Amino acid sequence: MPSSPSAPTPPAPSDFSPLPLPQPGLARLVSIAYPPLLLSAYAASFSSIIAAPAPALLTLLPLTAALQVFYAVLCLPLSAQNSNSKAQPAKAVQRKKSRHGDWIPRLSTALIALIISLSLGTAVLAITLVLFGAPITTHIPETLACAAHMALLAGVPLVYVHGVDAERWRAVAALLMPMDEVYGAAVGVLLGVWIGAIPIPLDWDREWQKWPCTIVTGAYLGWAAGKALGVGLRGKVVVV
Amino acid sequence: MHPQTRTILLTLANLLIPAGILVFAAGFFPYKPFLPGLATHHALAAPVPAPRFDRVVFMVVDALRADFVFGNASGFAYTQRLIRDGSALPFTAHAASPTITMPRVKALTTGSIPSFLDVILNFAESDTSSSLAHQDSWLAQLKAHNGGGRLVMYGDDTWLKLFPGLFARADGTSSFFVSDFTEVDFNVTRHVKRELRNDDWNAFIMHYLGLDHIGHKTGPHGPHMIPKQAEMDGIVQQVHEAMLKEPHLENALFVLCGDHGMNDGGNHGGSAPGETSPALVFISPKLKEISTGRECPTAPKEDFDFYAKIEQSDVVPTLAALLGFPTPLNNLGILIPDFLALWPDAVDRTQLLLRNALQLSNIVKAAHPSPVYANPKAEIACAGDLSSGQELACLWKSTHSAPPSSALEALYKFSRAAQSTMSSAASNYSITLLISGIALSALALGISVCATFSHKALLTPDGVVLALLSVLYAVMMFASSYVEEEQHFWYWSTGAYIAYLGVQNLRSTTPSKSSKSPSKPPRPSPLLPLLTLLALHRLVTRWTQTGVKHTGSPSITTFLTHPAQAPLLSACIVYTYIDTARALSTSLLTTFNPPPFAAWLSALAPTVPALLFRAAFTANDAPELLAWLGPGAVEMLAGLPLVPLARGVFALLAAQALVVLLRRRRGRGAEILPVLRALLTLLLLMQTRATNAPLFVLFRLSFTSLSALLSPARGARRAVKLGIAGLVLGRTAWFAMGSSNAISGVDLSSAYNGVSGYNVLAVGVLVFVGNWAGPIWWAFVCVEGLLESGGRGWVRREWEALGEEGGELGVYMGVLTVFTAGGLAAVQVACTVLRQHLFIWTVFSPKYLYAMAWGLGFHLLVGVLGGLGVWRVGRG
Ligand SMILES: [Zn+2]
Ligand SMILES: [Zn+2]
Repeated sequence: MPSSPSAPTPPAPSDFSPLPLPQPGLARLVSIAYPPLLLSAYAASFSSIIAAPAPALLTLLPLTAALQVFYAVLCLPLSAQNSNSKAQPAKAVQRKKSRHGDWIPRLSTALIALIISLSLGTAVLAITLVLFGAPITTHIPETLACAAHMALLAGVPLVYVHGVDAERWRAVAALLMPMDEVYGAAVGVLLGVWIGAIPIPLDWDREWQKWPCTIVTGAYLGWAAGKALGVGLRGKVVVV
Repeated sequence: MHPQTRTILLTLANLLIPAGILVFAAGFFPYKPFLPGLATHHALAAPVPAPRFDRVVFMVVDALRADFVFGNASGFAYTQRLIRDGSALPFTAHAASPTITMPRVKALTTGSIPSFLDVILNFAESDTSSSLAHQDSWLAQLKAHNGGGRLVMYGDDTWLKLFPGLFARADGTSSFFVSDFTEVDFNVTRHVKRELRNDDWNAFIMHYLGLDHIGHKTGPHGPHMIPKQAEMDGIVQQVHEAMLKEPHLENALFVLCGDHGMNDGGNHGGSAPGETSPALVFISPKLKEISTGRECPTAPKEDFDFYAKIEQSDVVPTLAALLGFPTPLNNLGILIPDFLALWPDAVDRTQLLLRNALQLSNIVKAAHPSPVYANPKAEIACAGDLSSGQELACLWKSTHSAPPSSALEALYKFSRAAQSTMSSAASNYSITLLISGIALSALALGISVCATFSHKALLTPDGVVLALLSVLYAVMMFASSYVEEEQHFWYWSTGAYIAYLGVQNLRSTTPSKSSKSPSKPPRPSPLLPLLTLLALHRLVTRWTQTGVKHTGSPSITTFLTHPAQAPLLSACIVYTYIDTARALSTSLLTTFNPPPFAAWLSALAPTVPALLFRAAFTANDAPELLAWLGPGAVEMLAGLPLVPLARGVFALLAAQALVVLLRRRRGRGAEILPVLRALLTLLLLMQTRATNAPLFVLFRLSFTSLSALLSPARGARRAVKLGIAGLVLGRTAWFAMGSSNAISGVDLSSAYNGVSGYNVLAVGVLVFVGNWAGPIWWAFVCVEGLLESGGRGWVRREWEALGEEGGELGVYMGVLTVFTAGGLAAVQVACTVLRQHLFIWTVFSPKYLYAMAWGLGFHLLVGVLGGLGVWRVGRG
């Protein structure tokens, strides 16, 4: 799917503004160092994922969840509290930055985002996977585990920064959100999953071609690439 | 670009496409020249060794895989005893791909490797160029032998088509319904006793089809398999006992063989070990002279390799030696070494092999000329890097310099090298024609890209989608596993395309707060049609498992065809017909406003006979699916006259279409398109497999959801989207209906609907419509959707005022042409680059045949000409 922001149709002007870049210092450092860290953790468990996908993905789940929560709390501005005004998120961050002891609302928001993503997000993404061709009569634990990882990667930061505002989520679904590291990562996860399906039918007869190894790998790689691109193309709106 | 220029360019591109297809095909499937005439004995110093037999009984059991005769679970008890006591010599005869009957019979009779063209001709059997009437074969030799022999033939009528007028007595059976396990074989067996008493023939050929049918129907381990093998074993016993008893059969040779094998699914056509390993047994009491018997039943060396593995064509020179006629001119087989022991004199043995090698050298020298074939003492270079032709020349030279003690060995070495070189595909391409074909297709691609992408509707994400689709498809053509499993590509890209349309619709319906425009009426949310379309897509892709790896694995079809679900399947099929009749009557009502009962009556007029035909056809083709009706009803249905019934339905559909076309109101032609669509659906339901019928309900629902998703798009942008939708949904439908890029994927079951005799054109059209039913349906509705793009009445005028009008048809055709030309060029380049590839005959050649059908049959006839027709009706 084209995600080039340069096509000539007039893009709908976005009603939303992108997230600000993480503050210089610890937050920015963590934001930059985090994707290689998570990818290495994934790579380290890759062989066990191939050996037994469902249990290994479940074992990896707490680590990814903890890291995503940590990343959200440290690097991302807090949910805009259902506010839609263009200036608000940045202002909110400004306000919150001034106080040092706001980690309790941050942590609780992140945990709520985690719960929503893991329950609702996993269910929605599992259904989506099935609609796009995931096996339905077999491999149910694998598909669910795959959806859970996708929900952690794409869902937790999105819920953390956008809350549960219907209008914002409609914009998320319509690809009308301006690019930033969270939105880029989410789009990257979906594209990565879609591209991850390509190697499965090839006749290489490798263990890793089995469901859902390539899919989860696509999700992690797409997440990292999308996060980086989201920073690079910050503020642009996808044209489709 | 001016619309007229675009039309001219697209017309040009669509003329270049068939030119490119045909030029490339001429280079890729060259017409193999064969040496005309009958072979005569070479005039050599030593006389022709005396024949050991004077007549042959040749029994072909279709799809007789090696393990059926030689394995442990076999019904061939009597044959196995003959193998153990030495009166039978067993072999596994390698059958080259394509493993379908006609090319295999050609190999078994002429000894040549049939060209791939024979595959097409297998489906157009009456074509005279495939006839062997003018080619040398062991049949022609026996007929001409000793002043005139007589041949008799019973069984598969392939033989009668291949050898017209050759047989003194014959009774052909055609394999019409694969559910026929007994009738086809009884038709052969009833002649056996009489012919064994006759002594006027010197070749008695039988070709039994029942075992092949059982394989197609229930696989190699089905419940009917062992009883059928025992039945065939009974024929072997009958013939063998007659050979022992009847004096005129004293010098008869009895050959039992399969023309090809079958895979684990019971099908054939490809090159799986099971398909290429038929059994071959030579039987005669005389063979006890040279054999003390073999262990039987036994285990295969690997896969299905029992005993010695020979080439199928080796049967031909072996028969020539044993019966004393010259080896047929185009033979590439080699005399089977085991039989040489029948000639005690070493000179005779060398003579036999020398005559075989001389005949092979005639073929070799035509392809690789060298002075040694005229003068074996000629000086040629035989060191260093040699081409295969030079190597053969050197081997030929060494047969003449070898001492008598190793002469046999040298002759075998030359013959084997000649066989493998001349049977390999590599030497046959015409590179010039291949490159010219690619150039023509590339030109068509270039022109269509210029004509299409110059429209502003393509300078959008839609244009990117089309480009991406074409490029990915082109890349995929170079991966053999993706060619075999092409359905995955279409299922994958169709899902993404639906999501893309959903996101676009969501964007255009999301109210933007920043724009200060007056609030428009709220558009319906795209969520419902999007989810419906995705769910329907998922259901459609699960309908049949196709491809190579997973064909026959659990799917909705395998579930529904299970005997326990047979009533449910019947209910689904009947519902499909009701659904279509309802669509027909509703559209008649809204268009012509007749009294409701009249609308229903005219809707039922073609539907009821069509359903009756379906039931009668199924009662013949797959009676187990109707078993729940009770044996009486099945018998009644099976007894209905199929040909008049099918003709009646076709006539009713045509008549109704004609009436509707003539009665349409001026300027409101689009109204009758739903009527025509329902009539088309009924026609396609006649031709598609019964289990595919319910898919048309899913297609109709999919189209409704697709229209809802596309509702915000207008004009040329809508045309682009519809063009791409037709491409991806049509391809998805094709694969979901069980088609694949393998030769065995062609469904021939509806080839003779309404046809009594053999008519190439009618059969070809019926096969095409049957196999392309899904894409034809989608091509129709996409043009129908295109006509809605302008809306009707005042809505249309409003859009024209908005300047979005114009060029829809041109853009739509441009999208189809760009993809077809691009895909074609990619397949051609892949076939050229990979022409030495191991998979060229099994994967890429069939793929090119399908690309031809898609390009010539589907794109040009259905997509472009049919599309233009529908457009004109809709606009007229
Ligand atoms: Zn056959
Ligand atoms: Zn068959």
